[in-house]
Amino acid sequence: MTEPDFLPMIDPETDTKPRHHVRSRLMRESLLDRQVERSTEGWVHRMLPEAHVLKIGGRSIFDAGRAVVHPLVEVLAECLEKWKLILGTGGGVRTRHVFSIGIDLGLPTGVLAQLAAADALANAHILGTLLAPQGVVAIPPEIFGHLLPLFLHSAPGVVFSSVPPYSLWEHPPGIGRIPPHRTDAGAFLLAECFGCRSLTLVKDVDGLYDADPKREPSARFIPEIAVSELRRLGLPTLPFERVLIDLLENARLLDRFQIVNGHKPERIAAALAGEQVGTIVYRDAP
Amino acid sequence: MEQGDRVDDLLTELGHALVEGSLNDEELLSRTDGPSLIHILPDANVIKIGGQSFIDRGRAAVFPLIEEIVANLGRHEMILGTGAGTRARHAYSVGLDLGMPTGVLSVLGTFVSMQNARMLNYLLAKHGIPFIEPAQFAQLPLYLAERGAVIFFGMPPYIYWQQNPAVGRIPPHRTDTGSYLVSEVLGARSMIYVKDVDGLYTADPKKDSGARFIPRISVSELKELDLQDVVVERAVLDLMANAQHRRSIQVINGLVPGNLTRALDGEPVGTIIFAD
Repeated sequence: MTEPDFLPMIDPETDTKPRHHVRSRLMRESLLDRQVERSTEGWVHRMLPEAHVLKIGGRSIFDAGRAVVHPLVEVLAECLEKWKLILGTGGGVRTRHVFSIGIDLGLPTGVLAQLAAADALANAHILGTLLAPQGVVAIPPEIFGHLLPLFLHSAPGVVFSSVPPYSLWEHPPGIGRIPPHRTDAGAFLLAECFGCRSLTLVKDVDGLYDADPKREPSARFIPEIAVSELRRLGLPTLPFERVLIDLLENARLLDRFQIVNGHKPERIAAALAGEQVGTIVYRDAP
Repeated sequence: MEQGDRVDDLLTELGHALVEGSLNDEELLSRTDGPSLIHILPDANVIKIGGQSFIDRGRAAVFPLIEEIVANLGRHEMILGTGAGTRARHAYSVGLDLGMPTGVLSVLGTFVSMQNARMLNYLLAKHGIPFIEPAQFAQLPLYLAERGAVIFFGMPPYIYWQQNPAVGRIPPHRTDTGSYLVSEVLGARSMIYVKDVDGLYTADPKKDSGARFIPRISVSELKELDLQDVVVERAVLDLMANAQHRRSIQVINGLVPGNLTRALDGEPVGTIIFAD
């Protein structure tokens, strides 16, 4: 090697307060430079290519009570015999209540995001309790990410609070004050980072319609749709968080997610097997 | 309970709408703008100290700035965030080569900005200034009231949940963004970026001698310039457009003694970027 890896390198401008660089291909580069940004594209390692991520809705599933949750848990227990599952939970009605109180008190979006984490974690503990016989428990958020591969190697699945750790650092939204990155986004970002096989959002609707089916009986069901088409339609309401459109567009490893009705839990096994049983939203070919 | 029997009348009208409606419905979201926001820490100034631009220069750059920070204790409340710098670039380079996803690169960047926060912490320790991690932010108001300053690492705590950028793989939300969001959520008095350049130029002044200085510019004007390189992370500019509190930021050259004090005193030193 002709040059050392570490060098107190004087900048060309030889000023009196030199920067001490570590040699690397990004050394001295502005990470804000578009050309530098482009140069960092490339192959991405998949950490958990066999694992499936499911997000179990808060209000749509947990708050619907035993009649909905118990049949769903039975299906999940069967699925855990065939597949490795990473189960995220939503917060549901309690999160909506704390949002309404927080907004009334004048608290900003970041605080609302911090408060929301507690409700999804409570639902994670409920699901972990129900799946305890399968050896599947709720993992504390502080250690969940770092230890996920270890847990999944040792158990058929794990449960986590699907609220992403944005907390006070949540982005102010374009409209209103509700945190834009909630539990759908938390499940998506996890599945993308860990290179998981699939992402399924378990809700109380069959999938995406061209209008809200609860208000418009003539609403038409959409079995699958590309991100570009979804953007073109500009639907005013969606059965998943709007930010997922941006996240899927920029995804490198995940190329789709499916919305499935958890009130018809047999569809979950079909979705994990790769069948279209709800609405599949997919990334446009690059 | 009968359907429609509102035993939960403690809820506001918005509360009912949130409990019953869809949080992905734009009409409902537009109703959540609610009564005016509180400013959680209206007297605090958030100051981000650059990694590559500042801390990597070592004693010659850092000691005079520490002296200036100490001189401002009791005059201004300061929440000090740290950048990452050259070691993060090394970690990103190694990580990119080995196929690390953006979320893992975010973890690596966090470690470097934490090293820088710890070093500043030891330099300010004799003044009783603590370093706090995100989990300790609940204690921030006490430290600020008692000691007048507190140090945090600038990376937002997104770790594996960091979003991919549209182009490339480097985490798009780094220490400029993390520091900005602290100033935004706390309703702070200012957001000051301490760098090694006088502010924003039409081109990189280190590479182009024809670069022109810009003292004041709006986010939309800045985007219109469509610069190849900008002085703060582009995500900050996007977030400012939706800001609830912090609608301007200031970029100053911390290598010039007195600049930080002037910025804290509200003088228009450096470049001010404001939301439209």
